[in-house]
Amino acid sequence: MSEDGKYATQVAMVKEECKDASEEEIAKEFKRYEEEFLIPPEDAFRSVMRKFQAEAGIEVTKSSSPSSAQQSPEKKANRFSDLGADDRNVTIEVAVVSYTPRVQKMKSGEERQIAFGWIEDNPWETSDKRVRWDYKDWGDHSQNLAPGSVVRLEGVSVNEWNEKRSININRTSRVSILKEGGATVHQPSHEPMTIEKASESEGFVNLVARVVSTKPDVIVKRDGSGQLNIVRGRLADSTGSISMLSWSDFEHEAGALVRIEGATVRRFRDTPEVNISDTTKVEVYHDNSFASLDELSSSTKSSISELRNGMRDIEVTLQVETWNQRSFTAKDGTERVVRSGDVMDPTGRCRLTAWCDFDPKPGDFIHLKEARVQSWQGSPDLVIDDISQATNLENPAWDQIDPNDHWVDVELTELVRGGTRRGIRTNGTIVFVTNDSGIIERCPVIMPDGNRKCRKRLRDGNCIDCGPQRGEEDLRVRLVMDDGVSNVSLLLSKEPAQDFLKMTQDEVTDRISKDGQEAFLASIRDEYLGRRVAVNGLALIDDQGAMILAESATKGELSPSDAANQVMEKWGVTL
Amino acid sequence: MQGERRVRQSAIRMLAREYSDSSLTEVGAGEYDPSFVVTKLGARVNRALVAGVIDRMERRDGDNGPSYSGSLRDPTGAHFFNIAPFQPELHPDAEELLARFESGDRFLMILVGRSRWFEQEDGGVFMSLRTEQFAVCDKEAYSMWLSDAADATLRRIDAYEKSLGAELNQNSMESAGVPSDLIQGLVSSREHYPDFDSENYRVGVLQALSAASGRSSLIQEPIPEEESQAAGQTPAAVGDQPVTPVEPAGDLHGTIIATINARDSGEGVEYDSIILSCVEAGFSREDAEDALESLRDVEGSIIEPRFGFFRILPS
Repeated sequence: MSEDGKYATQVAMVKEECKDASEEEIAKEFKRYEEEFLIPPEDAFRSVMRKFQAEAGIEVTKSSSPSSAQQSPEKKANRFSDLGADDRNVTIEVAVVSYTPRVQKMKSGEERQIAFGWIEDNPWETSDKRVRWDYKDWGDHSQNLAPGSVVRLEGVSVNEWNEKRSININRTSRVSILKEGGATVHQPSHEPMTIEKASESEGFVNLVARVVSTKPDVIVKRDGSGQLNIVRGRLADSTGSISMLSWSDFEHEAGALVRIEGATVRRFRDTPEVNISDTTKVEVYHDNSFASLDELSSSTKSSISELRNGMRDIEVTLQVETWNQRSFTAKDGTERVVRSGDVMDPTGRCRLTAWCDFDPKPGDFIHLKEARVQSWQGSPDLVIDDISQATNLENPAWDQIDPNDHWVDVELTELVRGGTRRGIRTNGTIVFVTNDSGIIERCPVIMPDGNRKCRKRLRDGNCIDCGPQRGEEDLRVRLVMDDGVSNVSLLLSKEPAQDFLKMTQDEVTDRISKDGQEAFLASIRDEYLGRRVAVNGLALIDDQGAMILAESATKGELSPSDAANQVMEKWGVTL
Repeated sequence: MQGERRVRQSAIRMLAREYSDSSLTEVGAGEYDPSFVVTKLGARVNRALVAGVIDRMERRDGDNGPSYSGSLRDPTGAHFFNIAPFQPELHPDAEELLARFESGDRFLMILVGRSRWFEQEDGGVFMSLRTEQFAVCDKEAYSMWLSDAADATLRRIDAYEKSLGAELNQNSMESAGVPSDLIQGLVSSREHYPDFDSENYRVGVLQALSAASGRSSLIQEPIPEEESQAAGQTPAAVGDQPVTPVEPAGDLHGTIIATINARDSGEGVEYDSIILSCVEAGFSREDAEDALESLRDVEGSIIEPRFGFFRILPS
């Protein structure tokens, strides 16, 4: 069938409306919609019609812009001092200091529950930077105005009486809680929690757990007023293990099964810890089916992917990749030696620092006990202080890992929800190319240690630390990668950026000076926006979000039809 | 607001139909808190990654500078996007798009946008996206997006179906196996929207997948494989042969009127979206097109105030 014939029906219909259009052109357009845009002629009909109508100058009513929702004269204020005596429909964030309900008789004789109290502006600052006003609640917002909470008031008004201003919270006002007030609100459940759940929560918990280890320790008070005897240790159940810190006597030994009521979970750096105080009840518990210490020991063994800053008592098996030592002069003038190196296990890689006479060789398998985790540049690294904590294994714990090709595949969402990890590979789609991608200037000032340059990014020729400088050019690309559920900043330094852009730094410089920064950014977007990439590198996860420092980033290699087939297989869909 | 970590919202892969069907929005409490469009399938959309062929592009000059609006068509409908006067960094590229569009060129685009909406006086809500970044793309990139969007939609359909037996709270949804990122959205959507058949969205997914996999992208009920392959080889035949309706549900005119009534938020309802509803209800495309024309030209009960958009004639 000829091309014309194939689309004859649709072509005729367009032709009817647009008499001057060429049938060949119309058929060509239908073909294009079908083959390039994957829209069959029946569906493309209206789009093609519009196109030819527009070309023929036939009036196609422009869609009237849907009008925005009515702009209300809302006044947003940060401080009470921004408010005038007549301001209505005010939006402001405040801290609730008190809430006193009272029944007030209205003129009509009707009785109404109202409330009054104090609120303070600037709620995210300390109270010496706040101003306190009276308020009245006319709308029974008691549930959202708990003392101690921070709330956003919307649609409230200013009231002035005897030159004193206050806030009226009306029936129509909206009160949104931004921060819960009062004591930590927690489910008053007496049911014990699993350690896995407890590790994710904060506040009061009840646990049934086996004591894995205990060790008396001492905390020296900061104010120099003496010291406190404490007990550190570790608790475990079949769902995991958690550090324990007891501020009072703790007589249960390793292996004991205990029921703990009214402990609190707090976070030390990124690591949850069960705190036991005078008011916590700890008693021996009997349950023959509870996992034994032997069975639980595997759950107390860690892998690199599970390490978090601040952890203690880590038991882990590792393969050594590199090992070095250096000496330095400590603060007290003594000469000290520190040894460190890169280590790996099947879940990733990290650094190990030994403050003791430990000298494994690259390729050795080692086993550590009671190691601790310290964060260095955001990456959780292992530390041992005593040679008794380390043993060299005679037999390999796994098939020797090749350090040059050791990337652990981690899904983006798992990565973002976990902690900082080295040596990961993950996938996602580029959803943003930042405007500062390209050539940047770095500060060339040599640091006091004489070994390295400041290298901070200059802004308008200024280093935030070193002042105005003549910068050194560097190439950097910053993107956002996203899998539809989670996202991460993706930072490509010079080498990976050159591979990613398929241009050298000099070529990028030339390109930008010739076409401009905007055109350069547009070329990255054209190539990568909405495209899948695979990334190898270091994932830094902290309170500020997640970032990957990429060692390489490459376009995904899956073909569209394979991708579609994978989706159909995954969800059991057939066409 | 300080003291709280502001998390970047992920870009939800979303076919046009699911997004435009939405009528539930969620405004953040704080000044910088994100707002969301909540779809029937429980996606909370603050940012979306969409794609399609450019179907409309206009420029409007206002007091604050030019703004642009347009739409991208995918197999299920159209996504509306705009570029605001206060986004001057996007204007040069928008001008380029507009010039290409006005010269008669059509092309595929991929776009990341933040959800926004307009409330009509009659209470309807019109969904749109404020462009964050965009790029013209090739068929391959578009097909990959179709697969991703289909995958994400199937995941939401699965979660929606799991949620049906659950109570509308976190714990119950969790035990029903709803993924954590969809729980909040499904609780809100199930509270807001009347019950519906998720099969409607499955049809869109199938269209997206068949387009992505290089097979035909015909609008049909799922048909036996042999037939679909045959149809794929000779797509031309379909225009001539009426598609056998699969037990039409109810009457065709009624379906059209009901569709317009349900979806018209003041702008009229798009031709394609009406036809699609009829096809999904089991009528043939041809019958639906005839019926739509007859309602407009013969009965006069609906009007087409501007090309491609239909409304009920106000009585």
